Amino acid sequence: MLPEFDLLMPETLPEALEMLVEAAPDVAPLAGGTNLIVDLRGGDPKLSKSLHRPGVLVDVASLDELRPIRRENGHVVVGGGVTIAELLEAPLIAEYAPPLKQAAAVFANPLVRNRATVGGNLADGSPAADTAPPLLVLGAEVELASREGTRHVGLDEFFVHVRQTVRRPDELLTAIRWPAPASGSVGAFRKLALRKADAISVVSAAVMVEPGEDGRCEQVRIALGAVAPTPIRAGEAEEALRGEALTPETIAQAARLAAESIRPIDDIRGSADYRRRVVEVLVRRLLSESANQRVSE
Amino acid sequence: MKYEAKPLPPVDLPELRQVGKPLRRVDALGKATGATVYAGDFTMPNMLHAQVFRGSWPSARIRRLDVSRARALDGVACVLTAKDLPGGRLATDMPGQTGQKQRKGSQAPVLASDRVRFVGEPIALVAAETLDVAERALELIEIEYEPLPGVYDPLEAMKPGAPVVYEPDNIVASWKIRNGDVEAGFSEADVIVENTFTMPFIDHAYLEPEAGVAWMDDQNVINIRVCTQVVEHFRSIAAAVGVPHNRVHVRGTMIGGGFGGKEDITVEIFLALLAQATRRPVKLVYTREESLLAHSKRHPFIITHRTGVKTDGRITAAEIEMVSDAGAYPYLSPYVLLYATVTACGPYRVHNLKVDSVSVATNNPFTSAFRGFGGAQAAVAYEQQMDEIAKALAMDPLEFRKMNYLETGNRNAIGQKIESTVWLEEEATRALAALGEKTPDDGPLKVGRGFATTMQSYGRIMWFHDTARSWVGIEQDGSVVVRCGAPDLGAGQVNSLCQISSEALGVSLADVTVYNSDSALTPLAGTTTATRQLYMSGNATLKAARMVRAALVERAAQHFEVAPEEIDLADRRAFVRSDPDTSLPLADLAKMCAADGIKLQHLALFTAPFTAPLDPENLRGDLFPDFTFSAHAVEVAVDTETGEITLLKSVGCHDVGRAINPTAVEGQIQGGSAQGIGWALMEEVQIEEGVMQTPSLAEYLIPTAKDLPQTEAIILESGSGVGPFGAKGIGEPALTPAAPAVANAVADAIGVRIHELPITPERVLAALETLGGREQ
Amino acid sequence: MQPKIVSLNVNGREHHVALAPNVTLLQALRDLSYTDVKNGCEKGDCGACAVLLDGKAVNSCLVLAWQAEGAEIVTNAGLGTMDNPHPLQEAFADSGAAQCGYCTPGMIVAAKALLDRNLNPAEEEIREALSGNLCRCTGYGQIVEAVQMAAERMQEGER
Repeated sequence: MLPEFDLLMPETLPEALEMLVEAAPDVAPLAGGTNLIVDLRGGDPKLSKSLHRPGVLVDVASLDELRPIRRENGHVVVGGGVTIAELLEAPLIAEYAPPLKQAAAVFANPLVRNRATVGGNLADGSPAADTAPPLLVLGAEVELASREGTRHVGLDEFFVHVRQTVRRPDELLTAIRWPAPASGSVGAFRKLALRKADAISVVSAAVMVEPGEDGRCEQVRIALGAVAPTPIRAGEAEEALRGEALTPETIAQAARLAAESIRPIDDIRGSADYRRRVVEVLVRRLLSESANQRVSE
Repeated sequence: MKYEAKPLPPVDLPELRQVGKPLRRVDALGKATGATVYAGDFTMPNMLHAQVFRGSWPSARIRRLDVSRARALDGVACVLTAKDLPGGRLATDMPGQTGQKQRKGSQAPVLASDRVRFVGEPIALVAAETLDVAERALELIEIEYEPLPGVYDPLEAMKPGAPVVYEPDNIVASWKIRNGDVEAGFSEADVIVENTFTMPFIDHAYLEPEAGVAWMDDQNVINIRVCTQVVEHFRSIAAAVGVPHNRVHVRGTMIGGGFGGKEDITVEIFLALLAQATRRPVKLVYTREESLLAHSKRHPFIITHRTGVKTDGRITAAEIEMVSDAGAYPYLSPYVLLYATVTACGPYRVHNLKVDSVSVATNNPFTSAFRGFGGAQAAVAYEQQMDEIAKALAMDPLEFRKMNYLETGNRNAIGQKIESTVWLEEEATRALAALGEKTPDDGPLKVGRGFATTMQSYGRIMWFHDTARSWVGIEQDGSVVVRCGAPDLGAGQVNSLCQISSEALGVSLADVTVYNSDSALTPLAGTTTATRQLYMSGNATLKAARMVRAALVERAAQHFEVAPEEIDLADRRAFVRSDPDTSLPLADLAKMCAADGIKLQHLALFTAPFTAPLDPENLRGDLFPDFTFSAHAVEVAVDTETGEITLLKSVGCHDVGRAINPTAVEGQIQGGSAQGIGWALMEEVQIEEGVMQTPSLAEYLIPTAKDLPQTEAIILESGSGVGPFGAKGIGEPALTPAAPAVANAVADAIGVRIHELPITPERVLAALETLGGREQ
Repeated sequence: MQPKIVSLNVNGREHHVALAPNVTLLQALRDLSYTDVKNGCEKGDCGACAVLLDGKAVNSCLVLAWQAEGAEIVTNAGLGTMDNPHPLQEAFADSGAAQCGYCTPGMIVAAKALLDRNLNPAEEEIREALSGNLCRCTGYGQIVEAVQMAAERMQEGER
């Protein structure tokens, strides 16, 4: 049985924000519930420190304001309430966020995808959140709304620690937006897990390459999941590739830098050492894929 | 190496009308439409909800236990601790003592009183008006522990000075085989190969968590509706609860998966105690987390093989050591160890054989029956050892095995003569040939193939004097009733009895109603375990059905004035073989018999051979009724940069004697091998200092639909089984060759062997690293 | 917080039932006697509790009952009965796909959601659609065959 809580069911976004501020701090928005309801149920005492078990839930699952996926001023905007299944089907995501679509395709399982939302996945703050690496390489920012107003936070500043973000209890993650990638950009996402479906990532990685002149990279973003207390960007590796051409050598070096920059942990899914080794492989493969894609265009 | 199926000798198996046909199972539509009711689906008026308070230390003294606040909570009907119980211990109901060093029964207390020995050990029971109140009551139970030293490694537990889990020592069981002269054999050998293989705790992970409802009726009978593989537990339940055996009535339900995990008593005694104490119906349903904590696990084994061979491939000597982790209480550990011991060297002729096996107590979760029951663990080791020897001899792995395969008429490791057909080479070649063209390597993806050939017993240890009863009757309208105690695990036990009886009586499946799994109302047929049910209750049902048939045939013969051999039964009619139009409906025939006072209901007893216990110091004699010989082959792709393994192809080939229902046999082969594949690649109950690190199905991973290819099942029928119509058993054999086949395929792909299960990506990379090191 | 009367539309029937906010749709359905919806893990790992919620296959253990008000809920038992089974149910029965049967209702719900989108799925698409439904008995082989069989029969216009 779930513990007792109050469940508020607003019909509009302003109503929801009002409820959040009134009930803060012991409150959380409930969308798909695929993490929150599991946390509320309890189950594993070892995780009890990082479980989210608020006394008040505000149901935002059916708020229309959180559902759209649209283009706006050169950006793509996805409402926080958009489900992973919707991301997978959306033409705008296929066109403007291939790494995000790839992540959606391997996210949990189809039943969970029909309920889990991108806002919920980010707000849950797991280092293994599969939508995070793609959104990080897309240069996304999140929109946090409260009764007081709205603020935007770059996704690379949004995560604080394991399952802790900068979102205040009275705030709702209403949207994620990123600039439509420059023409010719390519990107991809890959996760490694202990079975072929429905498994928490042992490591995950996303890359986005924006081409510059003479076959060099204007911009490379590399993001990693499940290898640190939060999803992270591999800054040193990115730096090493900026302005460089993607060759087997530069790629191998960047992959090595990415692997060296992380401090993963040992856990039941794998050792830190193994994570470092496969991060190098994943980053190398993703960069090579991107390089080949560009060549073929 | 290209393999061609070795031709099979012709076998004359008559075509039958029902048996051998891929008919839709009688329970299939109910399950498909959600109409089938499982143990947790029952509710009764005035019902209470139960919860179990479980210990959180692997080894501790209970200094103080205070349930007064829980008892006082509004809505709580009853709280029971060990102080409130008659003092019963859980028994595993194993008839027959096996001699010194073999601990009888499980010795596990129903509720711990002064000590806990594994995390999750039951300490108190709560029954309350709602589940919510029961859960809150658990939180009000006060307990103080004094942690004690614990031991979590069977090798450590064997050492002098190790903490003793319970007196007198940590040795729960041991068995020995001494054949021939291993010293001479080793000195004769050209090559000696030694390897140690280990395998972890595995969970049954059936989709249905344990559940049941119990109530005490107006006859003071404690009724227990429960998903159980053994309705005969009513005796142990009665003893634990302190009532006569005839006051416990186990009503078994359609089980949502068992695999041995519902073979020991699970919720029954808890329910019986609470029903007795409250005089109200009580329901108990485990959560998944509780199920993972509360029921048995597959025994981890450490198995060391040392084998001497000639360069031509003949085995000259084998020395095998086996250590299993019995966990906190013995349960079926002695017998799991026995099964492992007698198949330790596999389906091969080994004249000079020394096997030493021991099962050791630890403060880990208790281990007991799991599909394969030690025989599967033995196979993980022996089939990998056979591949390693072949590699050392630079021989093809099948050619090497062919030099040593047992044949019909040979004696196995303990000197029992193999009477049945042995088609190991026929199966191996078919499975390998069915893999087709080898998938080519692709960059870092290396493709490998592997197979395993195994033997797994069916039917119980014969010194248990196994019996089964079944009652078959025909009604006056020609419809048929079967009453048989056999629980249905989901593998089609009920349907098999339907197909067998409908065959014998000339009716269709739809004309038969089977009542099963009831300790009071159906004749007891024994456990649905040990791949025994088709053999035992199938034979009993066939026997009873033939007795009914004989009566019908004789009366019909009289009616048509022909000899009884002239009469056949089919399509609900009795007819003269040479003139089928001369017939009458079974309904009419049944009414005629009734009018004449001819008995049309028969209870039959089928007994397996009864033998004497074997000497644990030197196992020698007949142990099992028969064996199923099996093969499984797989093709895998290994990503040598990440270690990830993909199963590309999977083929199982088994001689099942006679397939009563080929669709069901195919399902067993596909499902059993899936469990073996999960064991090989991803399953592990991870335990650290006795504490489970994999509390739910998100951490304990079993294969999903994306982890398995379509598995081909090749069914061979030698007709040489001792089951009905020459059938053998398939339930456990379906699993046994799969895990070693996968291990062999991975070794083939990467050129180095991983000696532990599961073969995780991380272990693959570590193994490749050693290979790389060696090459430098 | 006080229970409130919630309107749940299940298999075409309207139920009005007082429910506390912390009751999951799985619990509410089973308490309403829809015991074909099974509890295998209660945390979204196994799919045994799958139902269609406005046509989408979801784990009912992860939906609060209050959240399901106003939605069309369909359980496996709502797709067909023993007297009038859905082609998927027939196919599962024919192919051997139901062994112990405990995963079957959720599995069929997930398969139904697939066939509603795509009546001609490839084997890979079937395995993908069912990847959130664990089965421990069958190894999924006959389940995949059942979905293929049902798809064929449905294409031929059975339902």
